[in-house]
Formats: sequence, C-alpha cells, structure tokens
Amino acid sequence: MSSRQPTGNGLNPIVIIGAGHSGVAVAAGLRTRGWGGDILLLEAEKETPYERPPLSKELLKAGAPDESAVLRKEKFYEDKHIDRRAGLTVDALDPAARTLQLSDGSRQGYHRLVIATGSRARSLTVPGAGLPGVQALRTRDDALELKRALVPGARVAIIGAGYIGLEVAAAASARGCEVTVLEFQDRVMSRVTSEPVSRFFEQLHERNGVRFVFGAAVTAIEGDERAERVVTADGSSYPADVVLAGIGVVPNQELAACAGLECRDGILVDGDGRTSVPDIYATGDVTRFTSSIDGASQRLECIQNAMGQADRVAADITGQDAAEPEIPWFWTVQHGVRLQTAGVRHPADEVIVRGAPADGRFSVVYLRDGRLAAVDTIAGLTDFRPARKLIVRKARIDPLLAADPGTPLADAAFAAA
Amino acid sequence: MSNNKLTVVDREGSTHSLEWEPDQTLMEALRDNDLPVLASCGGTASCATCHVFLEKEVFDTVAERSEDELEVLAEAEGYQECGSRLSCQLDFSRELNGATVTLAPEE
Ligand SMILES: Cc1cc2nc3c(=O)[nH]c(=O)nc-3n(C[C@H](O)[C@H](O)[C@H](O)COP(=O)(O)OP(=O)(O)OC[C@H]3O[C@@H](n4cnc5c(N)ncnc54)[C@H](O)[C@@H]3O)c2cc1C
Ligand code: FES
Repeated sequence: MSSRQPTGNGLNPIVIIGAGHSGVAVAAGLRTRGWGGDILLLEAEKETPYERPPLSKELLKAGAPDESAVLRKEKFYEDKHIDRRAGLTVDALDPAARTLQLSDGSRQGYHRLVIATGSRARSLTVPGAGLPGVQALRTRDDALELKRALVPGARVAIIGAGYIGLEVAAAASARGCEVTVLEFQDRVMSRVTSEPVSRFFEQLHERNGVRFVFGAAVTAIEGDERAERVVTADGSSYPADVVLAGIGVVPNQELAACAGLECRDGILVDGDGRTSVPDIYATGDVTRFTSSIDGASQRLECIQNAMGQADRVAADITGQDAAEPEIPWFWTVQHGVRLQTAGVRHPADEVIVRGAPADGRFSVVYLRDGRLAAVDTIAGLTDFRPARKLIVRKARIDPLLAADPGTPLADAAFAAA
Repeated sequence: MSNNKLTVVDREGSTHSLEWEPDQTLMEALRDNDLPVLASCGGTASCATCHVFLEKEVFDTVAERSEDELEVLAEAEGYQECGSRLSCQLDFSRELNGATVTLAPEE
C-alpha cells in the first residue's frame, strides 16, 4: 500500500460526481486498489446505477423485463463502504475552496474530486421538438417510455442513423412497428464506419422492414397535442406516433467549465485523467484527451473508454501503476448481427474488405499510411483480437494479403513492422 | 446453505476462496470479490477480459458454450477447448460448488 493512502483519518472523502459506468468503476477501482478512506458517490438519477448498452438493445425487446442490468448490486456499495447518494445533483464546484454545492442545499468538501458526469443526448432544436411523443434515449426512464410506445403497428420515426437510432430501428421493427429512419447523410453510421459496412447494415435493416430516407434534413415536428409527423426540408412529411432523436451526444461539462476547468467539447484531461486543476480528475464520456495511439484529440463515447480511464484515475489517486491504455473498441447489435469495432477509423483511411458481405460475415480493415489503424468485424470475431494487437504495434499490413480472408490477419503484417 | 464456495487461482498463482451468490454470474462473483476481472463489456460476451479456465470434470457438467461465447474465446489468449469459459456467461450453478476457477492470462 502506498503511503499516500489515508485510512479515513478525518480527511474529506474522495467525491465522485456521476454514478454511470465510469464513476462506479472509479469507486470500485479505488477499493480494489486498497483505498481505505471515504468515498462519496453522487448521482442525479434515483435508481441503482445501471448498464446503458442494454437500454437500446435487450430492454426494448418484447417480453423483456423492465428491470435493467445494474452495474453493481446494492449490496456491493454497502460491502465496500461506498457512500452512494442518489437523486442529488452537484450544481456548482468551487476549486479554490475545494467544495461542491449540492441540490439539497448542502455543501460538500472533497479530498480529491472525480467528475464522471457523462454525456446527454443532443436535443433536437426544430419547431415541435418539445411535443409529447418526441424523445431521446439516454436513461432507463427514456428506454421504458420508448418501450411502451413500441406497440405493433406504431409508426416510429427515427432521426439519425447512428448506433442508437439503428439499434432502436431493429428493436422497433422486431416488435411490428412501421419504422422510418431519417438521416441527413447518404448512408448509415457514416461518422464511425466505411461505406461497405454501412451498405451491409442498410440492407439488413431493409430486409427487416426498416425504411431509410437519406439526405433528409428535418425541419419540424408537427402535431396538435402530440407528435404526428416529421417534416423535412424538401417538404416531405412522415407520419409518426413516436419520434426518436438519435443525433449524438454532448458532454455534461458545464459544472467543470463554470469552475474554470479547461474544456473544449469535453473536459480536457491527460493520460491519468487529471484536469487542468490540481486534485480534480475527469473520466468517461465527458472528457477529451490526446490519443496515445495516434496523437489525435478525441472524445470517446464507449464503455471501454469509461472503464479504462476510470482505472487510470483510481491508479493515479492511489499512487499505483495502471494497465496500459487499451485500444478503443465498441460493439453494436442490430437484428441479431454484431458489429464490433476496434481502433478509431479516419475517413481518409484505406478500406480493405476481407470476405464477402453477401455471406453475412466479413471484416473491414482500415490502413493509415500502410499501418493497421482500425477494424470492423461483422458477425464474426476472428479478426478482432489479432487486429487489436496489430493496431497497438502500428503494424504495417500487406493490403493484398489483408484482402484475403483465408490469410490470418497477423500473417498480413510485414515481419519488420 | 445457499451459496457456492469457489477457489480462485489468480494470474500470479495465488489462491483465494470466495462465495458465489445465486443471483450473480461467475464474472460478477469474481469482480465483486476484487479479483482483477475488468469485464469491460459489462458481461455481453464481447471482450474476453472475464476469461477463466475450469477443470475438465467441472467443465463437462455445466451448460455448453453459445456460438458467441465460443467465437470470443477461440481468439483469446491461452484458449482451452475443454476448459475455457467466459465467466460472464456462467450463471450460478450447483455443479460449480467447490470448484477451482483459474483466471486466464491477460491479453
Ligand atoms: C442507449 C445507449 C446504448 C449504448 N450502447 C453502447 C454499447 O453498446 N457499447 C458501448 O461501448 N457504449 C454504449 N453506450 C455508451 C456508453 O453507455 C457510455 O459511453 C458510458 O455510459 C459512459 O460512461 P460515463 O460514466 O462517462 O457516463 P454515464 O454512464 O452517462 O454516467 C454519467 C452519470 O452522471 C450523472 N450526472 C451528470 N451530471 C451530474 C451532476 N451534475 N450531478 C450528479 N450526477 C450527474 C448522470 O445522471 C449519469 O448517471 C450506449 C449509450 C446509450 C445511452
Ligand atoms: S465481461 Fe466481457 S466477455 Fe465477459
């Protein structure tokens, strides 16, 4: 145990704001790493902290239980002496006085502060966006509200063909809804993947009854008391009983920005999660940092990043070594088909398809200056793990060999990388 | 008695005994007992950071691996055809009472 670890000897607690994936992982990680002092975990939502990925996947399925998977059982927090206060927001932060202003009117001092406030769904700003029936999907309450609306025959308009929009499209069509996805770009998931993968998923969705409208700029939601239709710039109108906006997220950085922490579309942190202010850390969706792989400034919205950063924060606070940063990775499941991505693709990367999309199972590798930068695997994981290792090594890849699915990916890497 | 007792061998070779509660997957039992199981995919058979080895006799008695699980495992470090499991895919089962579970090497 490091000498920096207090044992609860009258010090202020380590305060963690936000009990999402990252905040809970910091609390758990501090205990695993032997931190004996007080830990206070503050959370705006009322229930036991829960997993978000199932909200747009399992939870929406017909007959699935409304209880969503929790991150840790209630008892875990008791057993680990993690003081968790739910239904309480942190309204202001005063770094000079090292105190927080809480929504119940009280003030709370901290020994170290960890901001893990995550992100929120970007809200639709067109006229009518506030009508009942228009919603986003970020919280369990959002998911339950959506689930109630997904009845057979319901007309569901989804704005945005990103992960969330497409996962909901799959769930809604499986439940017999009439699903229309309105997307400004000319293909699905255009921000995160290449054309071959987009086209594969489009066809998959279309086979399952989902209709796409590309190049669609939504200008208004109309309806008397509730949303009834979505109107686009070309004058088209799409009838809808429920409208889901899946148009991205914005970091919950206001608390930090107001307190003078450096923010730029995310709270700026270093490799250990330290912000620009001493003794204040930030972790998860709310952060922006420099990629240790390619030096790019990035904000990642995935569980892997939320967990990895949390571990580095817990390590830094306890004066221990953290695991090497993992390659960012992400998964989504649509109509039962799993897309798993490792690394962060750039639009300019060379795209190499391994295998035939028509077979329903293939991979796409992305080369940057001849080196492996990212991979997408569709309905198969054979290339996933080797790719992760090759990305870390910045391995040079022979494009011809890489295009042959019969050649193991590792064998497509040049020996002298 | 409702819980299962387990012996866990960590990556340094040290043994730990712990109790596995009926409402947990094996991954949760390991993780909540402070064993270094990252579980970075939250138990969705995506990451293999919860990979464990079971003894052959025990392995043979528990429910079979799904195609998803098998695929993730087949690529994992040290994969054993008759031993590797994703602990997040193992629900509590009496067959595992008293079993020894070994954490697979980290990738
Ligand atoms: C529907 C859905 C599906 C997803 N699917 C996947 C997936 O398949 N794979 C994947 O990798 N990622 C997925 N994600 C993304 C993933 O959930 C996030 O990357 C992850 O939750 C980020 O963790 P976090 O701790 O940074 O933030 P969050 O989990 O968002 O937690 C932040 C918490 O902070 C609280 N908070 C905010 N401000 C305050 C305040 N001022 N005071 C107190 N509390 C506050 C919030 O209430 C929230 O609970 C999905 C997200 C959603 C919404
Ligand atoms: S926790 Fe990720 S595969 Fe088990």
